[in-house]
Amino acid sequence: MDYNFAFVLRYQDALLVGLKMTVLVSLASIAIGCLWGFVLGMARGSSLRWARALATVYIEFFRGTPVIVQLFWVFFCLPLLLGIELSNMASGIVALSLYMGAISAESFRAALKTISPDQHNACVALGLSRYAEIRYVLMPQAILRAIPTLLSNCVSLFKESALVSAVGMADLMFVGQNISNATARPVEVLTVVALIYFVIAFPLTRGVTVLERKVLKGLAV
Amino acid sequence: MMSTNTSAPLVSIRGLHKAYSPTVQVIKGIDLDMHAGDRLVVIGPSGGGKSTLLRVLMGLETIDKGSIAFDGQPYIQADEARGKTSIDTKVRNSIGMVFQNYTLFPHLTIVENLILAPCKSRGEKESVAKDRALTFLTRFGLRDKATVYPSQLSGGQKQRVAIARALMLDPKLMLFDEVTSALDPELVAEVEQVIQQLALQNLSMMIVTHDMWFAKNIASRVLFCAGGTIVEDGPPEQVMGAPREERTREFLSRVFHIGA
Amino acid sequence: MTYTFDFMAVRHGLGVLFDGLLVTLELTVAANVIGLTFGFGLALLVMHRWAVLRWPASLFVEFFRCTPAIIQIVWFFYCVPMLFDVYLDAMTMGILALACNLTAFNAEAYRAAIQAVPRDYRDAGIALGLNGWQRIRYIVLPTAFRAALPVLVSNGIGIFQQTALVAIVALQDLMYMGKSLATESYRPIETFTVVALIYFAVSFPVSQLASWFEHRRDRLAR
Repeated sequence: MDYNFAFVLRYQDALLVGLKMTVLVSLASIAIGCLWGFVLGMARGSSLRWARALATVYIEFFRGTPVIVQLFWVFFCLPLLLGIELSNMASGIVALSLYMGAISAESFRAALKTISPDQHNACVALGLSRYAEIRYVLMPQAILRAIPTLLSNCVSLFKESALVSAVGMADLMFVGQNISNATARPVEVLTVVALIYFVIAFPLTRGVTVLERKVLKGLAV
Repeated sequence: MMSTNTSAPLVSIRGLHKAYSPTVQVIKGIDLDMHAGDRLVVIGPSGGGKSTLLRVLMGLETIDKGSIAFDGQPYIQADEARGKTSIDTKVRNSIGMVFQNYTLFPHLTIVENLILAPCKSRGEKESVAKDRALTFLTRFGLRDKATVYPSQLSGGQKQRVAIARALMLDPKLMLFDEVTSALDPELVAEVEQVIQQLALQNLSMMIVTHDMWFAKNIASRVLFCAGGTIVEDGPPEQVMGAPREERTREFLSRVFHIGA
Repeated sequence: MTYTFDFMAVRHGLGVLFDGLLVTLELTVAANVIGLTFGFGLALLVMHRWAVLRWPASLFVEFFRCTPAIIQIVWFFYCVPMLFDVYLDAMTMGILALACNLTAFNAEAYRAAIQAVPRDYRDAGIALGLNGWQRIRYIVLPTAFRAALPVLVSNGIGIFQQTALVAIVALQDLMYMGKSLATESYRPIETFTVVALIYFAVSFPVSQLASWFEHRRDRLAR
């Protein structure tokens, strides 16, 4: 059997449309998920017991179930529960954002935990108010320290976004599978689709390593 | 330096008790008066309660019994019945402290570290605070480090910045908690010189140190603390030169023997 | 609109879901057995001093770490038979696809742990007169394995969750059974909720175990 990868080029427009959808869904979910994750992360470290308990249950649940189950749940159940129509895209973004919130909450919480208690002592000695301490000392450091893990969360989310194809959203994976079925040339098409994901995700994971080293060096005391 | 009541001691500690847990009693009854301009050096074996005393004075720890007045005003009170400690944060703001581990904020440049508290909690104008900060940095030989981050400084430089950061708030009392203990030996002198400089300006200070030569040079008064109490208290020539107490003698002979 | 829950509707389907769970667990265990052993071998190749071995091994690791698991699985099911002219049953294919993914992730965990063994330990080994193999056998590997354990366990849970993806290529696992039950019973909410709870009930205790390991490791390291 001979393989002809060049023929995939004929479908580049369709693949590009799919890729755009993949990137769009990923970026939207990352943006919403990070904000949601910061709130959850704060709640998880909060002194209010009920806030801590709720956040913990939420985070453990979303980290303990397959993303595809979450996606199906949102896709089939949320419209029934809320009584509103959700487009494929909206439910995809909602599901991925909820998931991203759970994983990024852990990054924020871990980052907050690595700030040494000495810093709190210094803030007291300098007479900083609790607000000034959180706003100018804790928060900037938490965000800086969380960046490497957040970025690797983003890579995970980008990969997980391929699941929206299973609920019929026309992302890169969906388009790729359609072309593969239509042309009966899965080897070429699926390999190229996998390579496209790889080409985007790989540099990002390298970036994580570089950033990790930089942040650790810059924040060493 | 203005004082509301010139006759009253700057710090007045009465009946201070502090335990970290029922079995770990770190301070077992300390009474102490310190006057403005005093340079009090606290020496003694590890675990004798020296650092805890400083941390209590800074308002970083709760206490079990006793009270502390600062500059004639009530400052820290133990409420034994409810097991709580009341700390007057207004009074606390006139005390500054430098820690063993520098505690510079790693995400801020040197100047930003210096002006954070004056601008954010005292509402000082940024340009004014910056000018003051640069004056301090120049005085401590760190003018060219103003815009770099703490990670690019040596330990000695970091500690000098930490001292400048505390001075930015015009404290009436400075607390130095083993500020040279984390430093490489060749960097100790530059930090001690800065503290000497402050001594010349009659700044009141309380110093915990393991460096006996430095203690002897800078102190106007020396406390020997062991087992959570003050064992001996007097001028440096007496406490370190001719100690009355057996425990002081024993401690000094051990450290000087090792030092020599 | 208010929705009336009827979890009873799912009850008669629990047996089916249980059959699905068994398939899911079978996939998980098989993939983990392969992933734990081959992952270690692959990690050694990734760190090998010969570039001929190092490069393909790294490429394998990075490729599986940087592409979606779903495309790996679909690719396996469609392309492996065509490329290599082998036709295996769906279960074996599913296991192989998941095992490749896990092998890559575990190789990375082993590599990081081995390289994180402090130089001092090796130096101490030399000072104690241990030879190269003894240093690896008695110092490097035990330390590294302990350090890698939490990550290996959480990778294992990850693969448990990824098994849900083989439902897409029609392997009758928990997710697949859930999907068909949801369509048959017209009760998607109850079905998917129960399915999610089953996944959660399995992975949560294991992830707690992983954090316990991590906690214990950090305490021992001090």
